[in-house]
Amino acid sequence: MNDIKLGQYVHGNSLIHSLDPRTKIICCTFIVIGILSSHNFWYLLAFLGLILVAIKYSGTPLSSIWRSMRGIRYLLLITFLFQAVLTQGEAVFQVGALSVTREGVVIGLINLLRLVILFLGSILLLMTTTPMKLSAGLEFLLLPLNKIKIPVQYFTTIISIAFRFIPTLVEESLSIKDAQRSRGARFDSPKILSNLKSYLAILIPLLASSMLRAEDLAEAMDSRCYGGNPNQYRMRTLKYDRVDIYLIIFMAIVLLAGLLI
Amino acid sequence: MDGIQLIDVSKEFKTADSYKVALSSINFTIHEGEYIGILGLNQSGKSTLARLLNGLLKPTRGRVLINGMDTDSPQQLKEIRQLLGIVFPNPDNQLICPIVEEEIAFGPENLGLSPSEVHKRVSWALEIVGMQEMRNHAPHLLSGGQKQKVALASVLAMEPSYLVLDEPTSMLDPLSRREVLEHLRMINQENHMTIILISHNPEDLMDAKRLIVLNEGSIYMQGTPKEVYGDMGKLGAVGLNPPGLYQLIQQLEEEGYRIDDNFETIPQLVEKICQK
Repeated sequence: MNDIKLGQYVHGNSLIHSLDPRTKIICCTFIVIGILSSHNFWYLLAFLGLILVAIKYSGTPLSSIWRSMRGIRYLLLITFLFQAVLTQGEAVFQVGALSVTREGVVIGLINLLRLVILFLGSILLLMTTTPMKLSAGLEFLLLPLNKIKIPVQYFTTIISIAFRFIPTLVEESLSIKDAQRSRGARFDSPKILSNLKSYLAILIPLLASSMLRAEDLAEAMDSRCYGGNPNQYRMRTLKYDRVDIYLIIFMAIVLLAGLLI
Repeated sequence: MDGIQLIDVSKEFKTADSYKVALSSINFTIHEGEYIGILGLNQSGKSTLARLLNGLLKPTRGRVLINGMDTDSPQQLKEIRQLLGIVFPNPDNQLICPIVEEEIAFGPENLGLSPSEVHKRVSWALEIVGMQEMRNHAPHLLSGGQKQKVALASVLAMEPSYLVLDEPTSMLDPLSRREVLEHLRMINQENHMTIILISHNPEDLMDAKRLIVLNEGSIYMQGTPKEVYGDMGKLGAVGLNPPGLYQLIQQLEEEGYRIDDNFETIPQLVEKICQK
């Protein structure tokens, strides 16, 4: 439950914070397209530099980003190793039956870089944008999908209810845990199985009470005439500045450069 | 025709092997601008009654009319729910949005109002419950009383003619309880909104001008607070105690002091007693 802080919004007043969420989402999309379509190691390295500058500029503490990077270190390691070992080509050195190839190392490094950039980009987006701005931006950008009968506003309502209830459910799970503990349940048993049983005893009451909550919530929404309209009130806060436009143009050029190299 | 009319309303719920009667043959009329208290213990059918009023539940028999519109017809439900807002007992389970301001805008937005009108109503509703400075807070960081005030504001922002409150104070501490009740009195007097306050606590219903006592799904008593609370024997028979104020009057009268009927608030009564 404590890991929920990963990628959580950190308040700040930097330029990155004040950007329109739509700009940030569009830039992130550019980043994804750019790095997935380019095979140029130096281009990706330059991209990494760009993101590091942005992180530095946003005032987000590097230590917390470093800590969250540790969460994906095995993924990075495994990706690199598999690419290095399984790619055909000129062998650099041999470990038993496995040979590490030159081509493998290069592809491994490229994919490693791609993952790191994707990770840092999304972390930066989440840490500098409030959940509500993010969902307003997403709703605005995806609203045209309504035309082909995809009910975007339902998804954003779901997201916003989730944001509303995560803290409530965390609080509730803690109080259920306390209740179980006060009746002798152990959550630190060395046996995995008995630990698992203890956590199951939290999960089931939590699930049951969530059902009740959902029923109450549905009644409250019904009573207030909910009919699935787009959230205009939230989107009203979106505002484009000149900086936003410059940034989008800049990122588009960077993306184009990547596609051409 | 304006007002709320219940004509011979019954509601039964199907259980595993039988029918459970929640309400049977309820008849009453509520006029615009009234302050009605509905009193009853648990299982007396109070919450079912609230849900019948805005069409969340349909009556098994009988008709529920809001300004002449039947809650049974799906086309008019939106209009009925716009006219009649409900505040539910649990503040945590009726707040939908992650920010107070959006919560209050939720209802007006669903009515399709323009953003500037929505904005105006949000400010107005926040002002009535005195929560302006909490505008950009997250609901889970508020106290229970503040949450319930936000819930009240979010219904007020739809500007309903009738405001139904189902045990709004049951999860509040005494201070927040008094504040919420005070807001209701103000809304009734200054905004002329009809208040229908449902509670198991007779003290909550001191401000009501008319009381309806429910017991086991039917109307047990009806009348002004003076009439209902004056009959301690009949109230006591279903396990309800009149508010302390009325117990005091009763005791004074037993001791031989005459108290005039026409007082409405505690200060007025104090005034009267002190004059003697």
